[in-house]
Amino acid sequence: MIQRPHIDWFALAPVNALLAAAAIALLAAVLVPRRARRTTAATVCALGYAVAFGFAIALYVRSAHGHGVVADAIRRDRFAELAQMIVAGAGVLATGISFRERMRDNHVAEYYALLAAAGSGMAFFVAANNLMTLFLGLEWLSISLYILCAIDRDLINGLEAGLKYLIIGGFGSAVLLFGSALVYGETGHLDFAGIASANRPHDALLLFGLAMIISGLGFKASAAPFHMWTPDVYEGAPTPVTAFMAAATKTVALLVLLRVLRTAFPQEAHLWTVAIAVIAVASLTIGNLAALVQRNVKRMLAYSSISHAGFMLIAVAANNALGGRALLYYLIPYAAMSLGSFAVVAARERELGVPVTFENLAGFGWERPLLGISMWTFMLGFAGFPLTGGFVGKFYVFAAAYRQGWTWLVIVGVIATLVSLYYYLGVVRAMFLRRTEDLQLAPIGGSPPRDALLQTAVVGCLVVTVGSFFAVQPLIDLAKHAANALPF
Amino acid sequence: MLGPSATWYLGVAAFLFSTGALGVLLRRNPLVVLLSLEIMLNGANLALIGYARHLGDGAGQIFAIAVMAVAASEVVVGLGLVVAMNRKRITLDVDRLNTLRG
Repeated sequence: MIQRPHIDWFALAPVNALLAAAAIALLAAVLVPRRARRTTAATVCALGYAVAFGFAIALYVRSAHGHGVVADAIRRDRFAELAQMIVAGAGVLATGISFRERMRDNHVAEYYALLAAAGSGMAFFVAANNLMTLFLGLEWLSISLYILCAIDRDLINGLEAGLKYLIIGGFGSAVLLFGSALVYGETGHLDFAGIASANRPHDALLLFGLAMIISGLGFKASAAPFHMWTPDVYEGAPTPVTAFMAAATKTVALLVLLRVLRTAFPQEAHLWTVAIAVIAVASLTIGNLAALVQRNVKRMLAYSSISHAGFMLIAVAANNALGGRALLYYLIPYAAMSLGSFAVVAARERELGVPVTFENLAGFGWERPLLGISMWTFMLGFAGFPLTGGFVGKFYVFAAAYRQGWTWLVIVGVIATLVSLYYYLGVVRAMFLRRTEDLQLAPIGGSPPRDALLQTAVVGCLVVTVGSFFAVQPLIDLAKHAANALPF
Repeated sequence: MLGPSATWYLGVAAFLFSTGALGVLLRRNPLVVLLSLEIMLNGANLALIGYARHLGDGAGQIFAIAVMAVAASEVVVGLGLVVAMNRKRITLDVDRLNTLRG
């Protein structure tokens, strides 16, 4: 008899549900007749995400005491489960946003298969408990996203975005991998707990490895100075893919960064907190300044996502339980706002057939009041206004940093928020205070029919954005239990 | 037979990694850039394997094998994109890939 490691299939259920959805959608690409292909694949993908969401909730309830499973390669704890819930929720909404995207229908089933595969990679990535599963999870989600960016081969921008993302993403992964190799060599362990217990605080190569791991994850979280791919890829990729990337990839990259730093490198905390604070300030500065001059809405949102990476890294730099809670809480409304705002951009793009700029948003708020008011709410949420979860999130992040004595970091964050008002409110102004006639668009066959699925997804995002302000206590409790899974 | 010490392997690995990194940053042809990415990953692989032998631990070698599989799939996607761009008659020069800028 050969000894096998015990495999906790329940802990792997969200990953496997999405993987199964990807496989079925891929089969649908060959077996289902062309007419029904889009509907079948999208339904399978949405169902996969819904089932994964259900499994993640069940696991959250039953994993009060976090532990390693499958030979300690992955971790079953509330931190991972909450992250999987965010990813799965984002996936369901992204499927809804994608459904009416104008793409040629010969690759539509592959699109949904890859969307589900990317989600399952993310679910695996957040549960990673050693450097090998970390790298595999990262590549799993990244390779799926590279193809999703370039899925529409008629779009030259999409191809360009895919290739750029692949080259820069691959560079980031290689840096992460070399860092992992250094850490492994110096400590003799691949698992996070083992690295922490090796206790070699003044090892230059180990610190070099740590820096490389932070950079590698920084590429995925699109934090400055590892952000240069973000505007190009966000602009060039199909808008629903951008929405999913902005919401889900950022979530998992930041959460995994927090997990790695807390569980594997607690002894080096005095060094990495400073490094993370510097990266946070760089992201806030570069993101906000560059966003000020953008005319293309997708690029503006990309720079806004860089500056939000900065905000959330403040919570990581705080390095306390409150910071972990703040990050986990903030990611819930942030994911909803990103998805929602890109969905509105997608809706406008489908009406006009050209990239959405501040100029051609004119009058949009009056033409489509539901989408206009939703976009308004998302922008106020990004800027941190009350009545949206963005306010509570920013408040918690600043509170966590202040408690740790990072007063100057809080000041930088507040200044960045003030600067960001200009471009967030600029979107609102463009939508409501400019007249449609200024556009001088030739109406060709009237505006397209309302897209019920996209509107439902936007309303879902709106409910989460506003709901996370009013239901703050339950969500904070959820985040608190999740953050307690990390050794603070 | 005794080979060179682990430091030498790390030195060669770091050299390969830096060569690859320079290639990614400096070369213009996407094919060469993809090749350089592979060199970076192989540098990391060599470090992993060297350390694994040094530590007498199998985990690093298993990691290296997994990395090879991942690197292969990544390059497949990369080459696919390059071929698709070539069919579109886009010049193969990453510096000219500037439709997306601002």
